[in-house]
Amino acid sequence: MTDITAGHSERSRWEAFLHALRFLLAVLRARPLFALGYVIVLLVIVLAIFAPLIAPYEPEVANPTDFLQGPSWRHLFGTDATGMDIFSRIVYAPRIDLTIAIAGTMISAVVGSFIGAVVGYYQEGGGFGSFGAGFVMRAADVLQAFPVFVFAIALVAIFGQSLESIIAAIAFVNAPIYLRLMRSQVLAIRNMRYVEASYVSGASDLMIMLRHIIPNSMAPILAQLSVNIGWSILLTAALSFVGAGVVAPTPEWGSMIAMGFQNIITGQWWPSVFPGIALAVTVFGFALVGASVEVLADPARRRALAGTLRERKKAA
Amino acid sequence: MTNSTGNRWSLDRRTFLKGTTAAAAAAAVPGAIAGRGALAQDRASTLAIAAPATPQSLDSEYDVSLGTFETVAACYDSLVEFEKIVDPGDPDALREDIKDYPNNPGRVNMKGKLAESWEVDPDSQWVRFKLREGVKSNWGNELTAEDVVWTWHRKLELGAIGGFFANTISLKRKEQIKAEGSHVVSFNLDHPNPLLLKLQPNLYNPIYDSTQCKAAGGTDDPWAKEFLKNETAGFGPYRIEQLTRGAQAVYKARDDYYGGKPAMDTVILREVPTSANRAQLLQGGAVDIAQYLQPLELVQLANAPGVSVDTIPATFMLWIELNAKIPPFDSIDVRRAMNFAFPQEQVISTVFQNLASPLTGCMPDIYPGFNAAYWEYGTQDLDHARELLKGAGYGDGFETTLGYNAADATQETTAILFQSALREIGVNLQLKKIPAATFYNNVSERKQPMIFYYDSPWCPDPGYSMNLYFHSKSFINYSNYVNLRVDELIDGAAQTGDMDARLAAMDEVQQIVMREAPWVFGVFTNYSMARRSDVRGWTYYTSNNIRFQDFSREA
Amino acid sequence: MRILRYIGRRSLFIGPQLFGIILVSFLLVKLIPGDPAVMMLGPFATEEQLAMLNEEMGLDGTIIDQFWIYLQNLVQGDLGTSWQTTKPVFDDLAIRFPATLELITLSLLLALLIGIPLGVAAAYFKRSIVKKFSDYYGLLAGSLPDFWLGLILIYLFYTIMQVAPAPLGRIDFAVLPPAPVTNFLIIDSLIAGNWQALWSTLGHLVLPVVTLAVINAGPILKMTQATMERMLESDLIRYAEMCGLPKSVVIRKAFRNSLPSVVTIVSVLYGFLIGGAVLVEIVFSWGGAGQYAVQGVLNADINPVLGFVLFSAILSLIIYLLVDLIYFAIDPRIRG
Repeated sequence: MTDITAGHSERSRWEAFLHALRFLLAVLRARPLFALGYVIVLLVIVLAIFAPLIAPYEPEVANPTDFLQGPSWRHLFGTDATGMDIFSRIVYAPRIDLTIAIAGTMISAVVGSFIGAVVGYYQEGGGFGSFGAGFVMRAADVLQAFPVFVFAIALVAIFGQSLESIIAAIAFVNAPIYLRLMRSQVLAIRNMRYVEASYVSGASDLMIMLRHIIPNSMAPILAQLSVNIGWSILLTAALSFVGAGVVAPTPEWGSMIAMGFQNIITGQWWPSVFPGIALAVTVFGFALVGASVEVLADPARRRALAGTLRERKKAA
Repeated sequence: MTNSTGNRWSLDRRTFLKGTTAAAAAAAVPGAIAGRGALAQDRASTLAIAAPATPQSLDSEYDVSLGTFETVAACYDSLVEFEKIVDPGDPDALREDIKDYPNNPGRVNMKGKLAESWEVDPDSQWVRFKLREGVKSNWGNELTAEDVVWTWHRKLELGAIGGFFANTISLKRKEQIKAEGSHVVSFNLDHPNPLLLKLQPNLYNPIYDSTQCKAAGGTDDPWAKEFLKNETAGFGPYRIEQLTRGAQAVYKARDDYYGGKPAMDTVILREVPTSANRAQLLQGGAVDIAQYLQPLELVQLANAPGVSVDTIPATFMLWIELNAKIPPFDSIDVRRAMNFAFPQEQVISTVFQNLASPLTGCMPDIYPGFNAAYWEYGTQDLDHARELLKGAGYGDGFETTLGYNAADATQETTAILFQSALREIGVNLQLKKIPAATFYNNVSERKQPMIFYYDSPWCPDPGYSMNLYFHSKSFINYSNYVNLRVDELIDGAAQTGDMDARLAAMDEVQQIVMREAPWVFGVFTNYSMARRSDVRGWTYYTSNNIRFQDFSREA
Repeated sequence: MRILRYIGRRSLFIGPQLFGIILVSFLLVKLIPGDPAVMMLGPFATEEQLAMLNEEMGLDGTIIDQFWIYLQNLVQGDLGTSWQTTKPVFDDLAIRFPATLELITLSLLLALLIGIPLGVAAAYFKRSIVKKFSDYYGLLAGSLPDFWLGLILIYLFYTIMQVAPAPLGRIDFAVLPPAPVTNFLIIDSLIAGNWQALWSTLGHLVLPVVTLAVINAGPILKMTQATMERMLESDLIRYAEMCGLPKSVVIRKAFRNSLPSVVTIVSVLYGFLIGGAVLVEIVFSWGGAGQYAVQGVLNADINPVLGFVLFSAILSLIIYLLVDLIYFAIDPRIRG
């Protein structure tokens, strides 16, 4: 992480920002794959925001006179069994898919990391705290022993089929990942000298956690986050595919693939194929961003990368 | 009782819930006899059917699942049956002659099955059957009047589905069914009931081999409930040879059937839950008949070599229940507005590929007494719908939910088309996909404001149909529709032998119902039989199932 | 002896953990709305019949009573019945688990065949096409929805080219399946010497196995590549290189040392796929265990769900135990 401490002036802060930006651009130039990732993610976000301006048709209005038309200039990606324009639906879909995936992942990250931090902090203290921490970890074991997908469907079945339940299900199945991640970070950081020092100086547990531990363990969480968003999009689509996801005819990639499933066997491939491609590309984009964050957030790897960049510059 | 209520309920339940597991399970079943390879030598006399589900329980007292009725129709015989005629639209298909015959006894055109002759009271208060002699069950016991008595006593005693039928023909007490000799049996009612004879061929009313049932049930189970779940004991042309639920059922023709051994010696009913897969199997020749296909698949198969698709008007009706106890559907005008907004033509051409026709009434249009004159909803009229809503105080529209069956692709597409149309008149329709397994429960609970229903009344009679759906006390009145005049007319018609008076009364009921619109009148869907071209003899029954004994293979 | 002690300590946790899993899954599935008695008896059941069936199934007591009954039956090896198939859950799972295991075992084997050589090559030839390809592949494979890939393969190889068998389960309709011994169709056909069945089984396995392998080769490749890269830079291997050992020996040495992490990722994937292959199972009508559980959840058929969770938990535990044993076998430090 770049050190930006309170003593720096506005000017140097601006410089630091520029420096970081330059570095990022250099990285992206050197690693076009990372650049591709950011482009995809940005594009998907732009689609989600400006969908009404981009989509040529309403995403949820059936037009039965035009059903199951193949791709043409009028309907770029063809139409589905109710005559809805597949291109327009694909453009609208990230609104749902991203909302679910980002909200679900964020909730799991916040809740999971918080519990993980607490558990990690108290684990080695002995007494009640460490008993509680052990209990939480065993509970997480049990949760993780569940087959993820069955667990997620069960949650949606319990809470009823709605956006909120899908988000809750995704948050639930992801939370243990962050719990573990945060806990191991905290365990490592907690025993460092400076944390011990502030403990001795009488800072409260909460202060120590907020001031030292959480900020210092953010890097791996951030890297995980992006990869996890991609994965959550896949899970959302999978839930819709088995009928436990969004309500029809909400434009959502997984549910579009499922609705087109029947048509594929009778030869109309487009209702399923295009949403699948959109889904794969999006997840790919988030995976790339995740990979880049992983590199950039890890001081050692960032230094290595900076080294390579310098070498290249020299060579050029 | 209706057949496809349960029929459909179960078909859907199993189709969906098993997903597509069954084919695989079938493959792993020991000794599974399957398709072509094993049977090549007997191909001429073997019928392979790809069905959405195998039978659950074989006891029609409790089970209404699809395969159950295929089994009942093959392994049991009823006392009488409707005569058959060639379908006017399809020379390859036969159908029951269910027209009204004012000069026939009971005003029906029937022939004897287990009964060789019968007498019926002109007022329809009693009927007496003379049974055929020397008829053997699949257990070798001879048919006697005692079997008929036992069969109906079982219904009265167990009081489930059979109880409903006993009640429908006003049979209240055991002594009303009398054995008047070893082969003569009579039904004697307290008052006339027009359905007394008409309900006899109903698939829910087969005759059991009471000797076998009593022996198998013993004292613990005098009505052989356990035995009849997995076995058949009847006088029909087939016996069940093997039943592996979720995989397949195998039937063998009986050499000693009194009507002569049927042409197809072995019938294999394979469970293939996905309709696209059933279509593929038929196209490839692995099966002879594929049941319950999607409209698009039927259209595609019609052009496939070696495959024939017969499609004829049937008794299937698809409609949407408008729950009269949940606002705004307590308002007749709102219900009418929903009908005027329904995009029927588009649904028929897009969703059903024209293998359907408008639901122009509230019972099957091929039944006697049907009147299409009261149907006003022929063309979609959004302006009129808007006016009606405004008049009812819903000028700004409203929000409501429509439940549909996850296993039925046509319902989802229809729902989406309807949703788009309703948006035009300010009605915000939320769609609610209900898993097939719980769909029927959702219908019968009557807590959804709007829910699809797919059904057909199983007795070709207007009084029977009206009573099922529109009498305020009927179990099947899923739209909570209450109209005291309608109740009065139905009650009156159920207790008179005067057919003309009944027809007049039922005409009035249709007029009221069509005006007050407790349903969104959807479509009649055709019955489509997709078969290999060399399989002949298909007969359409109002019960919408097939009977193996009808089929033969063209040499 | 360390290994025995290790296993002993490990198995101490198994009991409580399994109990926890059963308890949580029991409470969880009990929350799923839907009344099994209503569904079993159908729409025309009377109140008394429902009450009777509930009593028969032990569903009339409190949830604790019900759990207790479930546990008692469980100890006797009775997992209850599924109302959908009307069969004991144990019998159903005895058919469905082998179906799933056959599928995912072969898929992971193929994934290893793709992932390991690519990963090793990508780590060794750092500036080659192989490395580029591996980078893309590793990321892209994880981004594809498996059910969608399965559909595409069906469309291409079944609908269009008509070279693959219908996506209709594990064996052809027309083929007489072998007598069930293990319910693994490949093994059973071999035992029975039923070559036609074997051929048909293999044919049906191709598309689903390829679907899962293509996707799961991604993480295997990434893991192999990453550990190999680290190994190749390690002092040990550098030293070996400097000593002038031939390339192939160096690679073999490095690979041997990266094996533990490959084994770990495979075990994680295996555990995940037991329930995670369900979408591919649905697409190919496989009749596997995951599919069974998902249908159970969607239809408030709780016994199959509980049985599945229990079976897969036990299986995962066995797999992790096996992994530990493999560690002992391949890692000289632990063995020491």
